Amino acid sequence: GAFGGEKKKKESIFDLSKYIDKPIRVKFQGGREASGVLKGFDPLLNLVLDGTIEYMRDPDDQYKLTEDTRQLGLVVCRGTAVVLICPQDGMEAIPNPFIQQQDG
Amino acid sequence: MAATQASNPSQLLPLELVDKCIGSRIHIVMKNDKEIVGTLLGFDDFVNMVLEDVTEFEITPEGRRITKLDQILLNGNNITMLIPGGEGPEV
Repeated sequence: GAFGGEKKKKESIFDLSKYIDKPIRVKFQGGREASGVLKGFDPLLNLVLDGTIEYMRDPDDQYKLTEDTRQLGLVVCRGTAVVLICPQDGMEAIPNPFIQQQDG
Repeated sequence: MAATQASNPSQLLPLELVDKCIGSRIHIVMKNDKEIVGTLLGFDDFVNMVLEDVTEFEITPEGRRITKLDQILLNGNNITMLIPGGEGPEV
């Protein structure tokens, strides 16, 4: 195969430890979405989320999220099903990139 | 240095949490609209699961589907979430 017989140590391209104890949003194969506080993870991207809320999809339109949510509490998310992970806030403060303001 | 994460003792490993659940009720949410509640007897590296006293729920048609006793082997391929101590969906 592509390995050529070499054993390669599994390296993460992304460090989830900075999201520990922070609320994150997770999307799954099959369209499910959930959010919760990240309590743990492994290199295979299995996750432990606390205070998890699942966002239910609209039965008529699979891509539309409804107001409907359900509380799931402490859950383990299968890394094989995870397609997206992002911080719940989704943003952070950065220094002002527009240093020079042009007056109109 | 290396990009590999060191084992952080203060965090909770997902499969450890599943392991702690052995002998207790667990609620499994599949990728589709199916959910399974049962007593966890064990699981393997692929998180295929052996469950007992199982109830299978189909969420869309709104109702309990099948109650199976004895043991089942649940294929881990389609598992999305595992909820320790979960009772299953409100029906």
